[in-house]
Amino acid sequence: MKEQDYIVFESYSSNELSEDEVITFEAKLKSDPEFAEAFKTYKELSSFLEHTFENEEKSNAFKKNLENISDSHFNENKDVSEFEGKTKTYTLFKYIIAASVALLFGIFTVNQFSNPTYGDFNNYDAISLTVRGANDDLLKTAENTFNTKNFASAEEAFKQLIELDKDNSELKLYRAISNIELSNFETSDNLLEDLRNGNSAYKNKAIWYLALSKLKQDDKGACVDILKTIPEDADDYKRAQKLLNKLD
Amino acid sequence: MSEKKIHEDQKYIDGLLKNNSFIIQAIYDEFVPKVVNYIKQNSGSRDRAQDIVQETLVTIYNQASEKNLQLTCPFDAYFFLLCKRKWLNELKKSSNKEVTINEDVLSKGEEAQELAFETSVFGEKQALFAEMFEKLGTACKDLLKATFKIKSMEEVAASLNVTYAYARKKKSLCIGKLTTLVRESPKFNQLNN
Repeated sequence: MKEQDYIVFESYSSNELSEDEVITFEAKLKSDPEFAEAFKTYKELSSFLEHTFENEEKSNAFKKNLENISDSHFNENKDVSEFEGKTKTYTLFKYIIAASVALLFGIFTVNQFSNPTYGDFNNYDAISLTVRGANDDLLKTAENTFNTKNFASAEEAFKQLIELDKDNSELKLYRAISNIELSNFETSDNLLEDLRNGNSAYKNKAIWYLALSKLKQDDKGACVDILKTIPEDADDYKRAQKLLNKLD
Repeated sequence: MSEKKIHEDQKYIDGLLKNNSFIIQAIYDEFVPKVVNYIKQNSGSRDRAQDIVQETLVTIYNQASEKNLQLTCPFDAYFFLLCKRKWLNELKKSSNKEVTINEDVLSKGEEAQELAFETSVFGEKQALFAEMFEKLGTACKDLLKATFKIKSMEEVAASLNVTYAYARKKKSLCIGKLTTLVRESPKFNQLNN
């Protein structure tokens, strides 16, 4: 490629060519594979450079965080595996405990599921929302209040957050859950319907919680109908099937 | 690529992208032990496994951030295949000694294979691009860094004490130089085939 070619690549990429020049350029892309290949690589490199330098701070923050988590994960587990290696009796003992726990848990779940209620399912994992950036305080409030089950305050925080970030599916899901807890079913179900009809990563979770919302409202028919629409690859598929068996 | 259904596990990709510690922790708890076992069973150590996992997560992060990576298969299969591929490449690179590989029994979905392949090519290209960038002269490197950090070419020109027209032209020529270096490297041709 000649110097002039690269200058044209840049002008074309930043929309600075005249109409005629664009036509000539695009015709050359079609007729000259060498030229087209070089342009493709030029674009790939521009994107690489843009990403690398523009997001340098962000990706350094990510790498640092990753390193910390990685170190603590690998150090922690090292201790465990060394300890396990030392004594066989310990391993045996561990199995006995595991077996007893499994047995207890079995008895417990049989009892618990005999007449399923919303309360059997509302044990969420702790959520984590804070990212380096804007709205950090509000996110922190939402996260803390949700994790400590102070759902009235969580609802308040999520409401404000969603006003600032209207398309955030994750926030919508947590706001919906908070509203199920508060028995504001209209708000929760509207949000969940919205997610259910969308195509976000939270779609299947939303269907599951919509079913739970109906369960809490004692509308078992609607709950069953919704549970049946949870696809097999969803995280909650197994739980949904169990609940279905109990309800049917 | 376009109309495939996004898998629910996209949450792991989004979590990485948002630097969400809770999600990163979950990845280590749920998916990493399997990778460590695999590497240990195939001539590797815990320490090497730790590096492989970390490098793989950075590649996923970069692809998500630059190319808007969308997961169409379970994260488990995708992540495992990626780490495995990376490890096998390492072994190949440093193998003066005989390498025994226990092929794993699980067969992964085609979707996962394809996506893992895409990501690993992406990662190798990134490494190559970074290596070639280092070969550029200082003037080019500085100009490109400034261009992509500052965004406005006027400001770049002012900060480097050159005219706008010169900065513009220099930018395309520097990326041009980099394009040539990359296209001439044998590694690039391997990756593109």
